Amino acid sequence: MNDIVQRVRQLLATRLKLAQTVDEITDDTPLFAPTGLGLDSIDALELVLGLEKEFGVVIEDRAVAIRVLTSIRTIAEFIQSQGKG
Amino acid sequence: MDSDPLSRLPHGASFRFVDRVLEITPGTRVIALKNVTVGDPHLQGHFPGNPIMPGVLLVEAMAQAAGLLLPDGSSALLAQIKEARFRRPVVPGDQVRIEAERLGGLGPLHRFAVKASVDGTAVAEAEIVLAETSQVTSNAL
Repeated sequence: MNDIVQRVRQLLATRLKLAQTVDEITDDTPLFAPTGLGLDSIDALELVLGLEKEFGVVIEDRAVAIRVLTSIRTIAEFIQSQGKG
Repeated sequence: MDSDPLSRLPHGASFRFVDRVLEITPGTRVIALKNVTVGDPHLQGHFPGNPIMPGVLLVEAMAQAAGLLLPDGSSALLAQIKEARFRRPVVPGDQVRIEAERLGGLGPLHRFAVKASVDGTAVAEAEIVLAETSQVTSNAL
């Protein structure tokens, strides 16, 4: 699980233009809420395509995306629940 | 499917940059053509005596080709242009072959890899995100 978390962190760092470094973000920082990183829907698409490429997990449903892309931890848990990583 | 795939595009004649569809696999991949002629009005000023198809209009042509892969009845706007590269000028007489492939999507967003070539030589490429407007209410997830 720790390894997955690190790879998700790496994915965020390389795929998104974050205002802060990924080290400044906790595993539970909200990614999309304005109180967190405030990412938008285009960032979500970027993440979804990145997760598919890096981990082989497919997210096509918007409701699933909203649930899975809550934080680094929820992304890592989803990858693990899919038997990937 | 419609007999003329181009009738799916909402653009008027003065802003249509795809002339013909060679092949289409709905929702997946399309190959389309744009013939660049000296009569194209935007070439009068770009540039006087040295007509070159503007790179932004090549991107528009690529986006319109990608738009042919959207679901039936949808209209969309450009949401993102990534990794756009222009490798050589496109001039009157060139027939631009545009190949668009859908990479994936989420909700109203669809991402495409698009390449443009003339006589087998790459002239431009980009990744383009189109947002279906009927579904877009805000840019929040």
